[in-house]
Amino acid sequence: MRAWLYLIAAAVAGAIVTTPALIVLILLGGSFDDALVAGLATLMIAAGIAVVSMRDIIRCGLAMIVCFLSLAGLYVSLGAPMVAAAQVIVYIGAISVLILFAIMLTQEKVGSARLTFQTQAAPAAIAAIVIAVLVSVAAFGTSWGEVSEHIRSATVYVAHALFQNYVLVLEAVGVLLLAAVIGGVFLAKREKGA
Amino acid sequence: MPNDILALGPFIAAVSVAIAVLLVDIAVPGRRGPVLVVSLGGLALVAALTLTTGQAVAGGDGTLRVLAFGGAYVVDGLTTFLDLIFVGIVAFTIVFAPDYLEARGLPLAEFAMVLLFAMTGAMLISGAGDLLVLFVALELMVLPGYMLAGYHKSDGYSTEGAIKYFLLGSFSSAIFLFGLAFTWGATGTTSIEGVSGALAAAVAGGGALAPALVLGLGFLTTGVAFKIAAVPFHYWTPDAYQGSPTPVTGYLSVGPKVGAFALILRLFVDALGPLRVDWLQVVIILAVFTMTLGNLVALTQSNVKRMLAYSSIAHTGYMLVGLAAFAAGRIEGLEGLLYYGAAYSVMNLGAFAVVAAIQRRAGVTSGLDTFAGLGRREPWLAILMTLFLLSLTGIPPTAGFFAKAYVILAAVQAGNAGYTAVGILAVIAVINAAAAAFYYLRVVVYMFMREPRSEDAAMAHGRLMWGGLVVASVLTVVLGLIPGPFLDIVGRAARAIGG
Repeated sequence: MRAWLYLIAAAVAGAIVTTPALIVLILLGGSFDDALVAGLATLMIAAGIAVVSMRDIIRCGLAMIVCFLSLAGLYVSLGAPMVAAAQVIVYIGAISVLILFAIMLTQEKVGSARLTFQTQAAPAAIAAIVIAVLVSVAAFGTSWGEVSEHIRSATVYVAHALFQNYVLVLEAVGVLLLAAVIGGVFLAKREKGA
Repeated sequence: MPNDILALGPFIAAVSVAIAVLLVDIAVPGRRGPVLVVSLGGLALVAALTLTTGQAVAGGDGTLRVLAFGGAYVVDGLTTFLDLIFVGIVAFTIVFAPDYLEARGLPLAEFAMVLLFAMTGAMLISGAGDLLVLFVALELMVLPGYMLAGYHKSDGYSTEGAIKYFLLGSFSSAIFLFGLAFTWGATGTTSIEGVSGALAAAVAGGGALAPALVLGLGFLTTGVAFKIAAVPFHYWTPDAYQGSPTPVTGYLSVGPKVGAFALILRLFVDALGPLRVDWLQVVIILAVFTMTLGNLVALTQSNVKRMLAYSSIAHTGYMLVGLAAFAAGRIEGLEGLLYYGAAYSVMNLGAFAVVAAIQRRAGVTSGLDTFAGLGRREPWLAILMTLFLLSLTGIPPTAGFFAKAYVILAAVQAGNAGYTAVGILAVIAVINAAAAAFYYLRVVVYMFMREPRSEDAAMAHGRLMWGGLVVASVLTVVLGLIPGPFLDIVGRAARAIGG
């Protein structure tokens, strides 16, 4: 009986995610690229809502992986495979897995895994919707100019940008990471007496 | 390329000093002496290098500006001036910290090291010529601050303050970055000069700005307002300041604040200069709320650290008055803002140093009661505290008086020149300064006219602490009495971007 419920839920979720893509493709007459972006964006938003609204923290972590994956898909469809690869390796491969492990290792066996700090959900939701409306009004009200071809973001161009125009930023990020590592080690280090 | 490296010399030296402190602590762990020698000596070196770089690269009068790394880094009079202030702030903080840290069993090496890294971030902000450099530099400055706020690990308040500071700080950084992305999208460049050029073209074109650009600028303003703790973006300040170890609070109340103002100068004055008339309104509103609310809440505080935290919000408001006067066309407003930054750093660090000195013994709180009878118990400390508090109030002949007079006069001049709103802002600033006298002088009353609750013996303070206090108090008086030579430097720095 439970299995059926899960299947129905999965079908509903799949329908929600694919509907905007189908609308773009059939009703608005967009290209497959547009449909892909619409589908991935819907999936990302749905996964994002799942991250903040689900009660089980492990499921939140899994939903976050879905969110990151759809973002990587968006990068690919925007013509930035390099960024997409970095997104998959760093955010899904390293950070999400690390977070899941941290949750598993620090969680007490007994006791609730419920999040307890969702006390301002309604005002936060209102603020999020207001900002989303503002951003979309601004984004749609601006003429961004025509992008005739895909932005060139092959590895060689990324390398040129990193090591020519933005070499100072790159070096500064190195200093930033060093400072962060020192600070992090100090805060995480166990005191001798404790 | 060699010239690029030369222009970046002070920054590279500062990073080297931080790493040298790390190596020293590895070589001789837990020793205070070597850490102090290396960090303070290194800071002197950085200061000297900053001066010579400013002279050699940017020319004697400092108005020449030199671009390095394809315009990503700028050396001009402002860079030199701000770098020197940052070096001074960090040097004072390191001098004032050892006594307090020792009493609580906290190490000095990590403290100095992380502080030095924060300084490198601030120095990078002061010379940023690219919005991305600006953002990474901002992170480099504030990230060590989060860690310093939680430096007292076994103290729950310290951890709580650090987490609040970290969450809201990261949040505001994200908002700032979002705004930066929109600005980049609308102008097609991240270089400050490029953005400024694109905006000037848009303003000259006469049409309305693109909505995305307006949103981007709004996000940028919000992010910066968080960093300077302007009302209504100030909620993190009191908890972060009260929870932090006192020397850290002193640093947090000046270092990141002056750094954020450096960011404002590079971003709003340099990049968004063509839109001056538009952001003038925002600055006026922020200034009024920041001054008034900071002072009103400070009136009701019974904890000196928390009181100084709210008063630092009020001081942000006074500095914004200078910015408003500059946006209304008075270069004096910019000079006043820079002078205020320097004067405020010295006197506020001094006041926090006295609070830290009183907390020499672990467990002593920073409540107002602790100050009762201090005039009899430790007369010198009480006299110095009185001097710093008078300066913070703005009573002549201290630096605080001159700084307030400078920004308010600039605002009055702008008011006479037709910007009525800025003139009204000057009046509000004067009323606020008068109201602030109440809570500053209340501490003086407690020190000299209240009987202490219990008879505590006077505490011994290190020579370093006394030396730092003497230098800070001398600077407070000298900057107020003979501001002439200093004003030349300030004027040069102001003309570098506003002339």
